[in-house]
Amino acid sequence: MLGERANPVHWDWLVLLEMFVAGVAGGAYVAAVILEVSGRGRSPAARTAHLLAFPLMALATLLLIVDLARPERFWHMAVMNERFLPMLKPWSPMSLGTWLVILFTLFAFVSFVDALIARRLFTIGGWRYDRTLHGTPLGLAWSLVGGLLGLAVGIYSGVLLTVGNFPGWGQTWMIPAVYVSTAMITGVAAVVLIQALVGPTDADVVSLADANVWLIAWWLVNVVVFLLTLVGGGAAIFLRGVPLIAILVAIVLAGIVPLVLYALRPISLKGNLVLSAVLVLVGGFLMRYGIVMGPQLH
Amino acid sequence: MAEPMGFFTDTTLCIGCKACEVACKEWNQLPAINGGQNTLSGNSYDNTRRLDGINWRHVKFIEQFDANDPNRTGGRWLLMSDVCKHCVQAGCLEVCPTGAIIRTQFDTVVIQSDVCNGCRYCISACPFDVIGINEANNTAMKCTLCYDRMLGGLTPACAQACPTASIQFGPLHQLRARAEQRVQQLRQRGESRAYLYGVPGDGYTDRIGGLNAFFLLVDRPQVYGLPERPELPSRNSLPGWLLGWGSGILAALGGLLAFRQRRMAAVEEAVAVPARGREAAPPQEE
Repeated sequence: MLGERANPVHWDWLVLLEMFVAGVAGGAYVAAVILEVSGRGRSPAARTAHLLAFPLMALATLLLIVDLARPERFWHMAVMNERFLPMLKPWSPMSLGTWLVILFTLFAFVSFVDALIARRLFTIGGWRYDRTLHGTPLGLAWSLVGGLLGLAVGIYSGVLLTVGNFPGWGQTWMIPAVYVSTAMITGVAAVVLIQALVGPTDADVVSLADANVWLIAWWLVNVVVFLLTLVGGGAAIFLRGVPLIAILVAIVLAGIVPLVLYALRPISLKGNLVLSAVLVLVGGFLMRYGIVMGPQLH
Repeated sequence: MAEPMGFFTDTTLCIGCKACEVACKEWNQLPAINGGQNTLSGNSYDNTRRLDGINWRHVKFIEQFDANDPNRTGGRWLLMSDVCKHCVQAGCLEVCPTGAIIRTQFDTVVIQSDVCNGCRYCISACPFDVIGINEANNTAMKCTLCYDRMLGGLTPACAQACPTASIQFGPLHQLRARAEQRVQQLRQRGESRAYLYGVPGDGYTDRIGGLNAFFLLVDRPQVYGLPERPELPSRNSLPGWLLGWGSGILAALGGLLAFRQRRMAAVEEAVAVPARGREAAPPQEE
């Protein structure tokens, strides 16, 4: 393995932002799945999650395209040049990820439209506010497949970093696990935040926030194992300078403080919900910053 | 498929003239610099610095002199014309999501500039840090082993220009036989450190199946900036996906259980409060 890397990959702010935004979208969709499986597929919180996931995925796709050195050729990712056949290499995380993003965006789009219809903004044939997809057995099936795709979108970008020879990224297997757990906590936090700010802070929202405490604890386990895999090996490239500070601050903001807040005060207090959600979102972003930028800054 | 072709670079014959670099740039019409002004590296006579999108040949100057040996009797120069290794199992080709990187009929690895969209994944995947973005066309580029010249039956420009036959081009089996003979020759002359890097069974490049552009070295690979054990990116694929899915599924299931538990408690609480309220209320008069 090379100690120093001369050629930069330049996966900078656009890629970092894309990974964060796509992670929030995937996590929010999984939050909606949790609600739907619990018989709350038509609750305001589930609708908010659906209203959130698709626009975020659209933004993430745009960021991915803009980041390409030749953005006008973005379609080469999914369609073969000249032969116009589907382009898929399942063993390449970026190729597989392209299709995961496309499929998840499609599922998120249908759920998004369903949420708009539930708000009585329009109808499409028999697809009306009183006959929405979610909250039905078909909606449950749609949610489950979409949720798996949402998780896959959260995982693939971590696999993409790990499957390579870039010093640091290629020397630990834990990045996908940290990525997907980050996606979960930030996705749920985004739904709780929006509901706490503009929607009803009902039992669903409080229960989601409560579930996020468990998710945060699980995220911390993943992060600790990730850090342990770095110690002593060549991947110690992460544990220096600004990236190290970002990772440590992320642990405090998204992990320790929300858990302490939960332990000290009832989670249902609105201010507490908002503060915890904001901290988790900021901490989740910093964690991704540390992982994406760490090896590139050295 | 045509016979596999490649390079054999004998570093003991390199004199550091950089004719290979110049010939490569001239034939492939590569710019001298990616914008800005040319600067000196301060590192020996090496101002090319690295292989990248515009430098497809790079002559490395490695000075091995002991500061405590004023007569410099034990010192030596190691010179090596580095290039894309055209790996038998190429990491760049493996990960390229657009199919821009292909294996040619000569068993070489080529990036098609009209297909590449500049995602830069190949840069991260290459174990030899060979590929870079060429800002002239904003695509990832590297040595093509002069694919266009080979199609016309010509020798690659660098090998053609090399004045000492340090860079040799030809069918791989012939090059390997010649390289083995050269190693024996050097050992008989007292250079016991000579060995081949990039041939099958060399103990270094087995994990990527060897190199179609291989080298005769007289020091450890790291001294030349070569990895001790180059590996394919996909070695991390299965554990990465498994750990990701394991973590994700556990998180989702745990989240679901925690949500339902909390919600049940909230519902029970909501039911219990009015009931308690009824018990505490004074009996209504009929």
